[in-house]
Amino acid sequence: MTTPASASRWRDLCHNALWKQNPGLVQLLGLCPVLAISNTAVNALALGLATTLVTTLSGSAVAAARQWIPNDIRNPVFIIIIATLVTCVDLAMNAWLHGLYLVLGIFIPLITTNCIVLARAEAFASRNSVRAAALDGLMMGLGLTLVLLLLGALREILGKGTLFDGAHLLLGDAGHALVLHLVPAGANYQFLLAMLPPGGFIGLALLIAAKNWLDERARRRAAQRASQSASPISSVASTE
Amino acid sequence: MRRPWQQAQRSALILAGFAATATLLLGSTWLATHRTVADNEIAAQSALLAQTLPADSFDNVLPASRQPLPTVIQQAFGSREALTFYTARHQGRVSGLIFENVAPDGYSGRIRLLIGLLPDGSVHAVRVVKHQETPGLGDYIDIARSDWAHQFGGKGAANLPSWRVRKDGGEFDYVSGATVSARAVTAAVGRTVAAFHRYHATLLPRDTP
Amino acid sequence: MTAIHSTHIAKPATVSTVMLKVLAALLPGIALSVYCHGVGVLLQLLLASLTALAAEAAMLRLRGVAVLPALKDLSAIVTAWLLALSLPPLGGWWMIVVATLFAIIVAKQLYGGLGNNPFNPAMAGFALMVVSFPAQMAQWGSPQLPLDAAAQWQWIFLHTLPAGSVPDAISSATPLDVLKTGLRQGQALAGLLPQSSAQGLIALGWLAGGLWLWRQKLIPWQTPLAMLAGLLALALPLWLWQPAQYASPLLHLLQGGTLLAAAFIVTDPVSGASTPRGRLIFGFGVGLLTYVIRVFGNFPDGIAFAVLLMNMTVPLLDQYTRPAVFGHRKGRS
Repeated sequence: MTTPASASRWRDLCHNALWKQNPGLVQLLGLCPVLAISNTAVNALALGLATTLVTTLSGSAVAAARQWIPNDIRNPVFIIIIATLVTCVDLAMNAWLHGLYLVLGIFIPLITTNCIVLARAEAFASRNSVRAAALDGLMMGLGLTLVLLLLGALREILGKGTLFDGAHLLLGDAGHALVLHLVPAGANYQFLLAMLPPGGFIGLALLIAAKNWLDERARRRAAQRASQSASPISSVASTE
Repeated sequence: MRRPWQQAQRSALILAGFAATATLLLGSTWLATHRTVADNEIAAQSALLAQTLPADSFDNVLPASRQPLPTVIQQAFGSREALTFYTARHQGRVSGLIFENVAPDGYSGRIRLLIGLLPDGSVHAVRVVKHQETPGLGDYIDIARSDWAHQFGGKGAANLPSWRVRKDGGEFDYVSGATVSARAVTAAVGRTVAAFHRYHATLLPRDTP
Repeated sequence: MTAIHSTHIAKPATVSTVMLKVLAALLPGIALSVYCHGVGVLLQLLLASLTALAAEAAMLRLRGVAVLPALKDLSAIVTAWLLALSLPPLGGWWMIVVATLFAIIVAKQLYGGLGNNPFNPAMAGFALMVVSFPAQMAQWGSPQLPLDAAAQWQWIFLHTLPAGSVPDAISSATPLDVLKTGLRQGQALAGLLPQSSAQGLIALGWLAGGLWLWRQKLIPWQTPLAMLAGLLALALPLWLWQPAQYASPLLHLLQGGTLLAAAFIVTDPVSGASTPRGRLIFGFGVGLLTYVIRVFGNFPDGIAFAVLLMNMTVPLLDQYTRPAVFGHRKGRS
């Protein structure tokens, strides 16, 4: 059903959202929740998934309604759509995931102000098909979730010596079995810096540095491959 | 080409349309969730209150038993702000009281407490509900951080003469380097016990045998 | 393969001579510190130095920079010593190791090594510890109850004490801490003043070292004096206004790490301001912030946070205090 051209477009879209234009590591959008809620992997994952839900739904809704939205009032309309969706998610979590809701607190309603949601509505969903916008929203959300989860896991392991602590808030009682104690629970291990806000900043900086390093390495290898096949002289010059 | 006035009218109508749809959606979501949300809130509050009294020692809904503390007595609790308390009952008989109290002299501001007392005036358990003590230093008063608060269990009016931290000659432990937090909580719990001891006739409902 | 550096970068030999003199200037203070707190201080210095050298070497290797020349500049040792002298002399071995690793790896090498670090590495390491382990960082040995050498080593490495030792010997708070806690509890200032002159004695050691460095033209006079002025600018009026509530300026000068910071930390040429006027502002800011954090903040001493905060302003200070370009000033100085 999909032509090769559109298949590669979907791939580009995913690659763009998950890596090249990752909201958390490259666009640096919506840092407030990223830094505030990434103190444990479960909190981070939950907020990431809630954001993904909102970006996907708002992307689809904006794309579906785009022909009725006059250009000069598009921003108020986008905000109405986003705020409505966030409030629905907020109420739903309050009703059916109450424990998690108490932990995430103000950061669920604050998804409304997460720039990534409005940015994708404005830059992508308002000029693409519903399917493309939904995929873009989903992938952008997942890109953010991935960063949140990594950062959350990093901070939780360093800060408390556990992983997936509080999983029961997300999964019910079965979640208790998921908690990994990397340091024996009795040892009272605590490394506060990682759990406090500075740990969020330092952790995010380390993740960004790691991504830049990986990109740089890939670029160097590509350049090396290209120069090896092109001219032997330039490869000699580049070894030093 | 439409004139600006018509265009503005059209925009306003569209905006109103979106707003109406949003309202509809929000309204229906609220209708679908508000009962569960209210139940959750009561359940969460009950769970917190229940931690301060023996399990299965009461059968009433604790948040519903909330009452303001009479202003005359409030001073004995050492608080300048209005306080409330909850009455736990088992088959109609009072099986415990839960007092809110505030320790005004924490290291960084007030420490809000829930203190569960048995009818004989002894403490069953103390929970710190809200505090801003230094993370990793003064926050050991919080049950999520350490067992420190457990030591109040079973202590009552008989212990009042030595109701201080060990550093001040009392019988309660503290963490060195963060005495202030322990001192504040210990004093607030002590005031609550003393005040109950003095006013228990007023505070305990008449139906107690 | 000899590396040809650009000419404006100081030759490694010069850096190491400077660093050697800085280390030498620390010696009087260290000697007094050992006299007051015991040989534990030396153990902390040793642990810090070894950790710093190992971390620096590992990071230089990872970065693909020649290891030996950079190690020989001794800057890692200076950072290590400053940290060891700021942490509690009887802290567990892991504390100084963690602090030094963070200082060298994160605060120094990740930013590009000596000359590129925007934050003072020693203060970054100290801030890490005081935020992460406030309880352990608040426990200073009491100068009145010194443990013997063997007991100190046992405590630092094994966290146990020989039978019969007084716990206060290892867990008493610093004078500044006692003061702040007591004042918040409404106790009278007079009863809270430090009983021993140990801290003051050690402070004089730092002062001597600092004066010598200044005579050697290795540190400018602006930063240390401005820092002390900043501290006094708040300490003096508040003390005159309510002597029962606010400790005397002298206490603020001699207690905590004030003089150590004035002589050795705010004068760091890399993370501090580099123009004369910039140095004055930088130092004054550190002094003001130190007082504010010390007296009104939640942490026992404010120097580390004050230095880190002012480090952030350095690029701005350097830009706006550069010597005037011809005819571009409007009579402000």
